[in-house]
Amino acid sequence: MAVSEVRTKSLSVQRRRRPVMRVVWDQFSSFLFVVPFLIAFVAFVGYPIVYGFIISLHHWNPIAGDLGYTGFGQYATLFDSNSLFGQQFWTGLKNTALFVVISVPFLLAFPATIAYLIYRSPLKSLFRSIFFFPTVLSVTAVTSLWSWILQTQGGAVNNLLQAHVPWLVEQPWAWISIDMATLWWTLGFNMIIAYAGFTQLPQSTIEAAALDGAGSLRTFWSIALPQIRPVLAFITVISTISSFNLFAQSLLMTGGGPGSSTEPLTMVIYNQAFNAMHMGSAAAMSYLMALILAIISLVQYRITRERA
Amino acid sequence: MKMDRVKRTISVVILSFGALCILFPIAWMISTALKPLSDAFDGQLIPSHPTLSNFTALFAPGAAGSVARWLGNSLFVSITVSVLVMIIDSMAAFALARLQFFGRTALFYVVVISLVVPFIALLIPLYLEFANANLLDTYWVLILPYTSNAFGVFLLYQFFLGIPKELEEAAMMDGVNKFQLWRRIMVPLSVPATATLGLLTFMNVYNDFFWPLVATTSQDMRTMTVGVQLMAVGQYNTNDSLLMALTLCSVIPMVLAFLFAQKQLTQGIATTGTNL
Repeated sequence: MAVSEVRTKSLSVQRRRRPVMRVVWDQFSSFLFVVPFLIAFVAFVGYPIVYGFIISLHHWNPIAGDLGYTGFGQYATLFDSNSLFGQQFWTGLKNTALFVVISVPFLLAFPATIAYLIYRSPLKSLFRSIFFFPTVLSVTAVTSLWSWILQTQGGAVNNLLQAHVPWLVEQPWAWISIDMATLWWTLGFNMIIAYAGFTQLPQSTIEAAALDGAGSLRTFWSIALPQIRPVLAFITVISTISSFNLFAQSLLMTGGGPGSSTEPLTMVIYNQAFNAMHMGSAAAMSYLMALILAIISLVQYRITRERA
Repeated sequence: MKMDRVKRTISVVILSFGALCILFPIAWMISTALKPLSDAFDGQLIPSHPTLSNFTALFAPGAAGSVARWLGNSLFVSITVSVLVMIIDSMAAFALARLQFFGRTALFYVVVISLVVPFIALLIPLYLEFANANLLDTYWVLILPYTSNAFGVFLLYQFFLGIPKELEEAAMMDGVNKFQLWRRIMVPLSVPATATLGLLTFMNVYNDFFWPLVATTSQDMRTMTVGVQLMAVGQYNTNDSLLMALTLCSVIPMVLAFLFAQKQLTQGIATTGTNL
């Protein structure tokens, strides 16, 4: 504001003939550049955020529409442990949280180790390409592929292991299967980020450590890793967010089973909205989920900022 | 020196084992897609009766899925979105980085908000918004929601900030207006960054599953990712050779993108991590 007022004055001194119009046009023509983005934002982010909140305060059916205002009733239901929706919500959240806990450590450890090995070994670009490749595949291709090789009868993995593991149909194998497929699919993404972190390290520190007689493991653990701590923090935050949004792997590999043991929160919301047709309740669930995710991200961001 | 060679050998051995684990499922998919169904469970990596019959069956008239149509839908939608996002985000990023206007700071908040809102919070209102407008199951519903792409604004904004001011001033002296400045100077200079944005957008839209799953209902409007899922739980549930052939077809565009533009893809991903 202040800056533009100063500009207004200086411009009006310089160009006396059409000062006001000129400034207005200058501002307006600059603003025109952001109009397409603003329209897209308002239509497909801003408006839906508000609309979704209104829906969550009503009983809502996709065909009949608004079936009556309930205030925060549907949020309250989610905190009622005797209600069916509440039970579904917390079971889903528990499953999602479990997946975050069993996937994020691997999604940090494997990519960081592989990135460092590639960084210190020959054939860099070949290995980088191979480990990165699954990242470009769609989640349906990945799950279709893994469901086939993990079949109990005649699946390639059981053939290879000469075993009869019920990968997709019994616990804890169902979680292990989803975890393996997810790791296979996304480790390349995190590896690329970690690798970029390692390449920015000053070469001299690692050579100095080697001269001092530090072993390879020690150099990796005590010299290289601490230096890319901000990058590792970033990987942790984005992996937590993406694991929290687990959906397709459960839907397509285990169908949420056995029972509903691998049914994440996203799937509960999806079923509530598109199978049970309780749009209002599903909207309330998704807003609560977004809030929980926001709090987790904020806490992680704070912690990693302090340490980094 | 000798110790160094031992270490290198060890890391190559470990990496090769990892690479095998990555490649094995892909090799198995290709192998199954080339086998007749009767051999699908034979446990051989090299097909003993290799055949292309699964692929011809996929595209045969009267086949269970409309594979060619799904592929066409996916390509049309993801290319259109990429082009739109490149234009919209380039213009917005240019204005944010280079121009002064009322509400510029507010726009920054808008960008940040769109970056942090998770898709799940938008799923239901977006669906109902398009249902109210009677646009479900059309190309509109598959294209429009992706056009609000704040990540791209962020990426290009950082790029435009790095362009020297002198260049802009020289152009202004020559009497070009803002639009010409963007179109003739900024756009050509930002081709690498914009192409990276286009590629990442293409990849995200082509591979997206959740939104096309809920936004479309008719066989003709499905995208490739949803088609694979439909066939996996439906007609091809018992025909793994056909399913693997379909899965293989579904990944071909992304494999081509990987082969020809791997560098842009990995650089785009690497910048997101190291610029923070």
